[in-house]
Amino acid sequence: MNAAFKLRQRFHARGDRALKLVGATGQLGYGVPEPAFTTAVERSPDMIGADMGSTDIGPTFLGSGTMATSPEQTKRDLARLLAGARKLDVPLVIGSAGSAGAAPHLDATLAMIREIAGEAGHRFRMAVIRSDIPADAVADAIAAGRVQGMGVLPELTADAARAAAHLVGQAGTEAFVRALETDPDVIVAGRACDTAIYASIPEWLGFEPAAATHMAKIVECASLCCLPGGRDPIMATLDGDGFVLESMNPERRATPMSVAAHSLYEQGDPHQIVEPAGACMVDTARYTAVDDRRMRVEGARWVPAERPTIKLEGAEYLGERAVLLAGSADPRFIGRVGAILEEVSGVVRNLVCGPGEAPDYELFFRTYGLDAVFPWPDPPETPPREIFILGECIAPSQARALAVVKSTKQYLLHHGFPGRLSTSGNIAFPFTPPELSAGPAYRFNVYHLMTVDDPAPFFPVSVEDVGG
Amino acid sequence: MRLMDLARVARSKNAGPLNLTFDIMFETEADYRRGLAAEGLKAEHVAGIYGVSPNAVRVIPYPAALAIKITLPRQQAAGGPGDRDVYGAQQHAPLLGIEL
Repeated sequence: MNAAFKLRQRFHARGDRALKLVGATGQLGYGVPEPAFTTAVERSPDMIGADMGSTDIGPTFLGSGTMATSPEQTKRDLARLLAGARKLDVPLVIGSAGSAGAAPHLDATLAMIREIAGEAGHRFRMAVIRSDIPADAVADAIAAGRVQGMGVLPELTADAARAAAHLVGQAGTEAFVRALETDPDVIVAGRACDTAIYASIPEWLGFEPAAATHMAKIVECASLCCLPGGRDPIMATLDGDGFVLESMNPERRATPMSVAAHSLYEQGDPHQIVEPAGACMVDTARYTAVDDRRMRVEGARWVPAERPTIKLEGAEYLGERAVLLAGSADPRFIGRVGAILEEVSGVVRNLVCGPGEAPDYELFFRTYGLDAVFPWPDPPETPPREIFILGECIAPSQARALAVVKSTKQYLLHHGFPGRLSTSGNIAFPFTPPELSAGPAYRFNVYHLMTVDDPAPFFPVSVEDVGG
Repeated sequence: MRLMDLARVARSKNAGPLNLTFDIMFETEADYRRGLAAEGLKAEHVAGIYGVSPNAVRVIPYPAALAIKITLPRQQAAGGPGDRDVYGAQQHAPLLGIEL
């Protein structure tokens, strides 16, 4: 028997029917804080969970199949979690492997886990959930009217689905429960709902989804729900209809206000948590202090979905990106920088394209100090003393993108304008070259909801014996 | 009084790559009520600041945390060409000067 079935046996033999879950990190790969993680392991939890991914990091990682975190730190974090879970012989559950959860992210994560097992001498059974959604299946769903948009992206077409470099769906609790039925020690999922990492073991053991989902939504962010919020591991003790939260860093306190406020975090609506199988309504939740740093939460309700849905995510390749970094401290230049950048863009277009040739690239500028972060409708009352200009070019090739920003740099440096005083150069470079290749550029072209009869075929589970 | 002088927290972030969400939290019930009553935090006014339709702006009172949540669509999906704020973490700035 492996960790999952042992847990089930132990749990059903228990009098109090309480389950202790540890949220080790909300983003594996940036470091799992100590001594809080050691404290968590010493408290003998029933499972350890970690989320590895998100769409927060933008479309490039999903598109390119690369991780947002450094391989070195990611491996260190995985090794720490594996050591803890294997020492306790409890399930380790990891979701959204490798930052974006498509096949290359998942495979890179699995390779690291195998490597760690070899180095540390671990032997365990690993269940793997894949989250890649075939574009043809999405095309069929579009034809059947079962795909809907969720915002600024246009209605999804079969061509757009096929244009995605990687197309994934968020696996829900259902997929993790199937994985648990294979009696694994470790579950690693491709793209997954962050809540499924923590709600699946409770649901598998018979807990109601309401409290389990509410708990999962909080612990997936580790100690962020505390005062002061932080990244230290957190423990939730789930019983019949509620759960108690406790940060594994004694300096972080979960208070009624801090936990209630966490429902706001990165959520469009603080009153409900929408999942593939239904919605967890937290508007009826009650938050009570157990002591000065532990909180009890209860009272959420579960409304099952009429039909299960899968949230689809896809990123489309746009070209290669190069950037230009430059600053200015000249008030005359700063005073008309908007017009200057437009003029230089026109000049560059003539230089890098043949006569009558349409540009095969896009060139953007962000002027920090003026309106780079937010498109303010009016200029500032007092002009800034300095500005920073970030030029960005997306072109069909790396060489082409660099060619465009290199000409831009030179012509911006020497651009003449009325009132110009600094005739030896308009801009300051922090170092050379100030033009840098930034790798491939992508955009999210799929973020849609697909209704399905049964999500199971989209998230196949396979089992692997690791080590030994 | 300006929002930045009254609020305990004023923040923005993506809620998924297609939406921006803002949380304005207050220290006291009275401050929270003042925020709720402010014209500057009504959907019409917020829509004007962010260049979206008022129908697309949701203003959600959240008394459990003495907070007002505002959710609206992004101009483009996060991280697309020319995006200014991939995480959406600095889009709260224009709200800070709103009179409450």
